[in-house]
Amino acid sequence: MIILALDTSLSAVAACVLNADTNQVLAYETIGMERGHAEALLPLVDRVMARVEGGFSALGRVAVTIGPGSFTGIRVGVAAARALGLACEVPVVGVSTLAALAAPMMNLEPPATVIAAIDARHGQIYVQAFTPEGRTLISARIASVRDAVRLFGGGPLRVVGSGAQAVAIEAWTMGLKADVADVLNAPDIVYVARLGLLADPSVSARPLYLKAPDAKPQAAKHIPLAGSNQPF
Amino acid sequence: MMRVLGIETTCDETAASVVQLRPSGGGDILSNEVMSQIAEHAAYGGVVPEIAARAHVDVLDHLIKRALDKAGMKLSQLDGIAAAAGPGLVGGVIVGLTAGKALALATRKPFLAVNHLEGHALTARLTDGIAFPYLLLLVSGGHTQLLAVKGVGDYVRLGTTLDDAVGEAFDKVAKMLGLPYPGGPQVEKQALHGDPERFTLPRPMMGRPNADFSLSGLKTAVRIEAERISPLTKTDVADLCASFQAAIVDVLADRIRVALQRFETQLGAPSALVVAGGVAANGAIRRALSRFAGEAGLHLIVPSPVLCTDNGAMIAWAGIERLGLGMIDDLTFAPRPRWPLDGKAELSLNGKA
Ligand SMILES: Nc1ncnc2c1ncn2[C@@H]1O[C@H](COP(=O)(O)OP(=O)(O)OP(=O)(O)O)[C@@H](O)[C@H]1O
Repeated sequence: MIILALDTSLSAVAACVLNADTNQVLAYETIGMERGHAEALLPLVDRVMARVEGGFSALGRVAVTIGPGSFTGIRVGVAAARALGLACEVPVVGVSTLAALAAPMMNLEPPATVIAAIDARHGQIYVQAFTPEGRTLISARIASVRDAVRLFGGGPLRVVGSGAQAVAIEAWTMGLKADVADVLNAPDIVYVARLGLLADPSVSARPLYLKAPDAKPQAAKHIPLAGSNQPF
Repeated sequence: MMRVLGIETTCDETAASVVQLRPSGGGDILSNEVMSQIAEHAAYGGVVPEIAARAHVDVLDHLIKRALDKAGMKLSQLDGIAAAAGPGLVGGVIVGLTAGKALALATRKPFLAVNHLEGHALTARLTDGIAFPYLLLLVSGGHTQLLAVKGVGDYVRLGTTLDDAVGEAFDKVAKMLGLPYPGGPQVEKQALHGDPERFTLPRPMMGRPNADFSLSGLKTAVRIEAERISPLTKTDVADLCASFQAAIVDVLADRIRVALQRFETQLGAPSALVVAGGVAANGAIRRALSRFAGEAGLHLIVPSPVLCTDNGAMIAWAGIERLGLGMIDDLTFAPRPRWPLDGKAELSLNGKA
C-alpha cells in the first residue's frame, strides 16, 4: 500500500509518500515555517505527488498529524487530508503530533521513558509520556511544566520537542535524569507515514486541540423587562 | 455542460453545492447543502471564530460528499472546484479554501477562489439570468452596501455603511430587548403586532446626496427610548421593534433612491434592482423594496431566502462565471479576511469589506 503523509501542525509544512510493502520513501519534502501553511501545503503536495508513479490514483491511504499544535495549522492539514481522501476514495487517518515526535526515540539504549513536549506558551506544554517500547504511560494533555514533570515518576527521561528544554530543566531541579534528545518543532514526516500505517482506517482523522476555544458564554445583558415579560 | 462545486465557510454556515450552467442562461442548482452552526454560537450571543472554524473542519467533507451524492455527480464529472476565499473569519475561510484546493489538485480540475460578496452579487444571474449592469443592495449581518455590478469582477461601490450593518443593527436591538440570537427574525416577528409610530426614531443619513448608511445612532435611539420606559412590557418590546423596523425601511428606500440616481448618471439604466444577504428575508423590507421598484419602473429580483443567506450555490455559480472567462486561480491563493468588491473605493470605514 502507498500512503501519503501530511504535517502542518507545528513549525513546518511537510509531506511524504511511503510504499508500505517495500518500506521505501518514494518522495519527501519539508519546509520550515511559522506561518503561511495554508498557502504552502498544496503546492508542496503537488510537487511530492509528481514524483510518484501513478500520482493520486496510486494512493491507498492518507495520514495527517492532528495536533496538538497550532489550531490553524492542524485545520489546514486535516481539511486538506480529508478532501484528498474524498477525491481519491481512500481512508484518512489521524496521527498524534506528540506520538510522531516521540516515535524515533523508541527502543533506544539505554532504555528511558520517552517524553514528547510541545511548547504551548504561558508556561504550559502539550505533553505525552511513553514507555521505552512506546506504550503510552501518560496520555496527551496540556499542563504546566512542573505539573507535567511530577507525573513522570523516576526517570531516566528522554525528551523531545519544542518543550524539551523546559522539561529537562524542571526534571533536573527535581533530581531526575533527563536527556534532551531533540528540540525540533516538527515531527519527522516519515514517522507520520509509519504511524499512519498502524492506525485504524475506519476512524477518520479529527483535530486534537487539547484546549477549549477561548470564549465565554455571555450573560444576557438587556434592558429590564416587566415581570410578566421574561426573556425566552 | 459546465458544472462546478462551490464551497462556503466564511462565517457560521458550512455549505457545499453543485451548479450546472443552463444553455438558455442562468444555472440549475443540482444540490445545495447547508449546515448552520447557530446552535453552537447561541450561548455566546454571536459567532465565536474559533468555534466556527472547529465546526467547519468537522463537517465539511461529509457535506461535500452529500452535495455530490444529491447531485448524482462524481468529482470527475465536474469542470471546476470553487471555494470562498474571503472576506470573512479567516479560520473558517482557511478550511474551505484548503479543502477546495485539495479537491482541485487531486482531480486535476481548475480551482476558482471566489469572493463571498461576489457570490451574493452574481446570484441574480444564476436565478434569473439577467444582464449587466444592475444595481445591487447587499444587506447581511456583516455587510451593507449599494453596488453597481458592471461585470464579473467589475464593481463600483455607490454606498456603504459607516458603522453597523443592517443585520447587525437588528441583532443588537434584539439583544438589548432580551430577544434570542440571532435577533433579526425575532425583531420582525415582534414588529408584526407592534405600533411603528409609537416611538419617534431618527432616520440617519436621509436626504444626503451620497448613498452611504449610518445606523449606530438609530440603535442608540432605540436604547434611550427603551431605558426611558423600562421595565419593558410585551407591548413595549413589540412597539420598539416596529418603530425600529419602520426607520430601517425608510432609510433603505431613501438610500436606494440616491444610489439609483448615481447609477443612472454614471452607467444609464440598470437591468434590475437586486437584493442579497440575510436581511432580505425580512417581509417589511421586501414589501418596501417592491413598492420602490414598482414606482421607479425597475425589475426587482429578491432571490429565495436560501439563496439570500450564505450558501454554496452562489459560490459555485461565481465559479462558473469565472471559469467561463478563464479567471482560474492557483494553489498558492491566500485567504483574504478583507476583500472589497470594489478595489478602487476607499476601504469602508467599518473595515468589514
Ligand atoms: N427577517 C429578518 N429581519 C431582519 N434581519 C434578518 C432577518 N433574517 C435574518 N436577518 C439578519 O441577517 C443576518 C444574517 O444574514 P447572512 O447570513 O446573509 O449574513 P452573515 O453571514 O451574518 O454576513 P455576511 O454574509 O456578510 O458574511 C443576521 O444579522 C440576521 O439577524
